[in-house]
Amino acid sequence: MEDLVEIVLLAGEVLLTNGAEIQRVEETIARMGKAAGFLSAEGFATPTGLFVSFYAPDGRVYTRVRRIRAVKNNIAKIAAVNSLSRAYASGEISTDEVKEALLELTKPEAVYFWPAILASGPGCAGFALIFDGSMLDALFAGIIGMLVALIGAWLSQYPIPRIASSAVGGTIVALCARLFCQFSAADMNKIILGAVMVLVPGVLMTTSLRDMLSGELVSGVSRGADALAIAVGVAAGVAVVLSVGV
Amino acid sequence: MLLKSLLTGFVTAASFAFIYRVPQKQVLRCGLIGAAGLFVFALTGYLGQVAAYFLAATLVALLSEITARMAREPVIVFLIPGVIPLVPGGMAYTTMLSFLQNDYPGGFEQLAVMLFAAGAIAGGITVTSSAFRALYRPRRGHAAD
Repeated sequence: MEDLVEIVLLAGEVLLTNGAEIQRVEETIARMGKAAGFLSAEGFATPTGLFVSFYAPDGRVYTRVRRIRAVKNNIAKIAAVNSLSRAYASGEISTDEVKEALLELTKPEAVYFWPAILASGPGCAGFALIFDGSMLDALFAGIIGMLVALIGAWLSQYPIPRIASSAVGGTIVALCARLFCQFSAADMNKIILGAVMVLVPGVLMTTSLRDMLSGELVSGVSRGADALAIAVGVAAGVAVVLSVGV
Repeated sequence: MLLKSLLTGFVTAASFAFIYRVPQKQVLRCGLIGAAGLFVFALTGYLGQVAAYFLAATLVALLSEITARMAREPVIVFLIPGVIPLVPGGMAYTTMLSFLQNDYPGGFEQLAVMLFAAGAIAGGITVTSSAFRALYRPRRGHAAD
């Protein structure tokens, strides 16, 4: 039984640390708990912690608390846990196989995930165009976006609060944009607006409001606060550079 | 203008699909959903900002739910990259920048605009996914919800 508790808890933890929705985490815990032979499994997930109680058929109750610290966005892992939990619930794979697959998913990833860093270029360039920038603005925004993604990946190895790393990112964006504008006719504001899109918490903001609309008040409020803190960090980093020597 | 929205929507959604590490064979679909969302946003812009965000997000959520069921992946695989071109992240940044530069009236104005934009997007997604949850009964072993 202890073993089964660990597996279900691990599935919940992998989901939360990779940025899954609260509802999905709680449903997965309930589904896997039932499949593992518990009468019921009650989960309470928040963006910073996971609480689970398992009710065993012999009357015992197992309760575990997991503190969640760093949250990354890795949708592939969420998809993997999702299909694992479904396969487990329908009895297609055994407990040992689930455990092995979950442990595989918790292994630390490579610091530099190159597809993401390279994709930041076209991503930021596209946003510069959405914000009515010229092709030149888009080119510069793309270059800066890739640089910031690279530095962000490097910083992610160290235990730095997200607001601080956002501020560093904002500073680099604004510095590079000012530098490029010294030598060309590009619009600095458009470049900055495009390039900060890799830093800025747009999805977090929307997720926060979605949580609130579906009644997940705790995670809605805490994700909103997180998004606000990141936005302040980015803006502070940019503002420092903009206010110097104008 | 509309063609540009299709193109930029595709590029940003597909790029952020890589950034959020979507399974790589789904990146193309994410891009197409993002393009459709931004296209509808540009097309319905004359209705006002909130309505345009709501309609675009509703379409993105609808396409994501359908694609997720076809591809047997969780909905967020398509939903998160798909809303990326719409999401008011840039506004969150300009809001804070206005406050930091002591432009409080401008900051509050943008804050209100941003909250309504994010609310309209979240509303569009929530309405669609609730409707799907209510109407659709998952078949056994069907990896989508």
